[in-house]
Amino acid sequence: MSILNYHHFPIYSIMILFLGAFLTVVFGHKKALRNIFALLAVSVSLACMIALVKPVMLDGEIISYWMGGRGIAGGYAIGISLEVDALSLFFGLLISTAVFVSCVYSIQYMSHDDNPGQYYTLFLMLSGGVMGLVLTGDIFNMFIMVEILTFAAVALTAFRNKAFGALEAAFKYLVVGCIGSTCILTGVIMLYAQVHTLNFAQLSALIPGNLTPATKVAFALLFVGFSTKAFIVPFHPLAADAHGAAPASISVLISGVLTKSGIYGIIRLCYFLFQSMQLGAIQFMLVFIGSVSMFVCVTMALAQHDFKRLLAFHSISQIGYVLTAVGLCTAFGISAGLYHAMNHTLFKGLLFLAAGAVLHQTGTTDLGKLGGLSRRMPHTTVLFLIGAFSISGLPPFNGFASKWMVYQAVYQKAVESGNIGFLLVLIIALVTSVLTLASFVKVSQSVFFGQLPEEYSDVKEVGFGMRFAMGIFAVLCVITGLFPNLVTTYLTEPAARAVFSVGKYISAMGFDSTVADQAVSFAHAGVWAPVNWLLLLAVMLLAVTIVAVASRYDKVSRRTSETVDTKYQLFYGGEKNVYSQVGGGDLFWGFKHNWRHYFSFMHDLHSGVVNDYALWAVVALALAIVFLQIVL
Amino acid sequence: MILFNYIASFFLIVLGFYTIVTKYNLIKTVIGLSIADYGVNLLIITIGYNPGGTAPIFTMGELTQASYFVDPIPQALTLTSIVIGACVTAMSLALVIKLEEQYGTLDTREIRRLRG
Amino acid sequence: MTILMTALYDLGYILIFPGFLFCFLVGMLLCGIDRKLVARMQKRVGPPILQPMYDFFKLCGKETIVPAAASKTTFMAAPLIGLAALVVIQLFIPVFGFTAFSGVADIIVILYLLLIPAMSSMLGGAASGSPYAGVGLSREMVTVISCELPLVLVLLAVARTVGNAMGTGLCFSLSTIADFQAANGSLILKGSMIPAAIAMLMVIPGETGNHPFDAAEAETEICEGMLAEYSGAPLGVYKLNHAVKMLTLTSLFVALFLGGLGTGILPLDIIIMFLLCVALTAVSISFVHAVTARLKIEQIFKYYWTVVSGLALISLVLAWYGM
Repeated sequence: MSILNYHHFPIYSIMILFLGAFLTVVFGHKKALRNIFALLAVSVSLACMIALVKPVMLDGEIISYWMGGRGIAGGYAIGISLEVDALSLFFGLLISTAVFVSCVYSIQYMSHDDNPGQYYTLFLMLSGGVMGLVLTGDIFNMFIMVEILTFAAVALTAFRNKAFGALEAAFKYLVVGCIGSTCILTGVIMLYAQVHTLNFAQLSALIPGNLTPATKVAFALLFVGFSTKAFIVPFHPLAADAHGAAPASISVLISGVLTKSGIYGIIRLCYFLFQSMQLGAIQFMLVFIGSVSMFVCVTMALAQHDFKRLLAFHSISQIGYVLTAVGLCTAFGISAGLYHAMNHTLFKGLLFLAAGAVLHQTGTTDLGKLGGLSRRMPHTTVLFLIGAFSISGLPPFNGFASKWMVYQAVYQKAVESGNIGFLLVLIIALVTSVLTLASFVKVSQSVFFGQLPEEYSDVKEVGFGMRFAMGIFAVLCVITGLFPNLVTTYLTEPAARAVFSVGKYISAMGFDSTVADQAVSFAHAGVWAPVNWLLLLAVMLLAVTIVAVASRYDKVSRRTSETVDTKYQLFYGGEKNVYSQVGGGDLFWGFKHNWRHYFSFMHDLHSGVVNDYALWAVVALALAIVFLQIVL
Repeated sequence: MILFNYIASFFLIVLGFYTIVTKYNLIKTVIGLSIADYGVNLLIITIGYNPGGTAPIFTMGELTQASYFVDPIPQALTLTSIVIGACVTAMSLALVIKLEEQYGTLDTREIRRLRG
Repeated sequence: MTILMTALYDLGYILIFPGFLFCFLVGMLLCGIDRKLVARMQKRVGPPILQPMYDFFKLCGKETIVPAAASKTTFMAAPLIGLAALVVIQLFIPVFGFTAFSGVADIIVILYLLLIPAMSSMLGGAASGSPYAGVGLSREMVTVISCELPLVLVLLAVARTVGNAMGTGLCFSLSTIADFQAANGSLILKGSMIPAAIAMLMVIPGETGNHPFDAAEAETEICEGMLAEYSGAPLGVYKLNHAVKMLTLTSLFVALFLGGLGTGILPLDIIIMFLLCVALTAVSISFVHAVTARLKIEQIFKYYWTVVSGLALISLVLAWYGM
């Protein structure tokens, strides 16, 4: 086999990151070398993933790779394997893209920090861990990767250890993350005790016919373990702490990549290992958790006063959409969920990077202190607005395309199953979307528009490197929003098909499979043609603008250099300027007032004491164990 | 005898979780994490144990159908798990030291600047 | 040649009917009729029906002042984007049997498109930097949140009713809904749809920001909120947006509930549509305006999420179980 045979690419894309991590340790003190190694590692990793698109996505091949050539002996897997099907590759592509952009951004963003060498080491360890997690075909290997990425993520959360709350967030994350990892390890070993194999494909072949109380407990343990990685309710406070405290480039990874690895684990667990998604109860579990995450986190976000913390809660809210769609167990639903997962990585990455840019230039992310930055940082503002429109699902950006698919999928499911509960989910999803819009209006008003405080009057635009990184995400946001057909045909539908061909997944590794592949259909009822719509809007905008220009709309009077004329000053109704500030935190008073009991209850609930969060984790575990014992 | 091992391992895991949930001292939280970890290690070893089995050290020729030995894979897994456990302890203790410097306390109830 | 003809037709749809020109004229007329009606109900003489149009042209001739603290591009572009989006929505709303562009968007899309004008006015207000605009946009957003839930419920109820009747279980396409009503009579004749129709009637003044749900603009209190710093032509465009929004929402109501009244002859249909829009404006906007006082923002929210949503929910549940 040639060294450039694409069967080797998965292991390359993992190892190059770990190799890069090693090299950045060795050459950590040399700035140029360090940056080159880091960039090279992430670019090669991305290139490997892109090169796999043709064989895996288009030709539908499943790459199976035994490390060291040790494969199956006596019907049992004795080697460690990598198995890359369309689902793995989909997540792999997402991850390598996010890692690449984040790395480009880091070069400028982290240049003033202490020890950037160690930063890159941890950064690449984190990336390698996530990459390994999604490409591996071995469940114990998966656990190792979970540990690596948890470790790197904790260390990176605490990286700016002088920053407000960084250590605290890292410690909380470590404690609950370790509870999750312990759960995963226990689950893995309990599965091993039952079927004596660690290979994913073989486990998928053996477990469904072998459901004992012990495997059911293992299901619960693994489910809770992956939930802590995806930060879904009840683990969302950790996300908020960790995203908020970590450097922005790491928040991108934690939100865009780590949560995806949790979702990936849940899909593998429910659709492959246990193949139990046909059960209404499991669907109920996923959709219920998804909807609760969606709604609880968006309301929590509305109550936040900190830019990054707000984004963090939104991140989990969007993950709720993904989980809901994935839990529907329809091919169209999975396609929609994966699409939204992808878009989530893109727009959330963009927003976190914009928040990082604001932090970089002003030194704060407090919504109450910022304001009016659009005149000082126009490019960042435009990029932020693209991200904000995407996440709140305004057409034609990508958030709308995927949310629209999620709604279609949920409604279809509601009609098929005749269950009015799904209708409730749909309503929650639609309302969550408008609440998302509300919080981004809040951010726009209190960071980029509104009044510019005196102390930030000489803020400059961020450097080109950071804008370039944000620009990549922004362009991707627009493209994936305008051409949903391309994305679904080439990325999400192959992945969704892979989810429904478990038999193929098992036999690709050389095990006997009795699971029949299911026929999948991506039919849906709605209509949405973003390009046509955009054309209409463009023509209309052109017409309106021509009329406007013809009627001298743009001829405005504005203050020239030195003249001080009161007509160009803002109207304060006789009050002094300083008494007329609109606080960002309480912008939606009218809404919050009606829900004050709910908000104060939630505020008290998220007490910030690590014991409480650990208790939630343990209770969630107990509930999952009991629930799954009953329903499976 | 083996049953006792299983009971002990799950007892240790539950004890570890109990410690994490109920103790308000950061050091005790770390101890709780370690206890849970030991419980898992004990569980792994127990799963691999075959009563009366020999050590799983063979060369290619020696391995026959009649060989009776303990399962080597869980032992390998335990080694990994122990290493990871040590890392968790080291890292969390490092964080605890830094936290103590910054907050001047080890009480989890006072380390809650991030909330709501 | 056919491509050219299609393009010409499309351009005609976009610019003349049901696009820009139609929206402009009918919206302004609706606005004028509304003002006249309110005045008559309050025993005033009221302005001439064409007054909003005079106002618009007058504003266009006035000086446009951009505050020194504002971000000029957003400040100036926001009203135009809002207007364009509103007119594009109008292109998707069927006039009985006739839809200008049927294969582009369904009702979920329209639900989201309705957010764009609100969003653009909020961003425009925010860009002015005025604290009044800050308060205004906060209230506007809460009003939008308030209206969203009942609107979602109403749309789902309609989608379910039509879907049930057509055997597909769900129907998101507005033109299908229109065709269904043309064949089977208006939806409002179904008992289960009456609560939804009432809820939709109540949503109209909230979405357009009319009395008593105009806390976001409350002239006497926060100086027109988001419009506080606007003057001249941009202000005129905002006034136009408001007028077009009245047309959009009333014609959406007609498309959803009164679709069976069409005759199949386009010019006649347009006139019927216009008369229905006027009637709906009179009922849902003018009459309510004349008899109520402005609500506080938290009352608006409460009202929509309890009374109006409750009504819509009744319809949805009835529709769900096939009644």
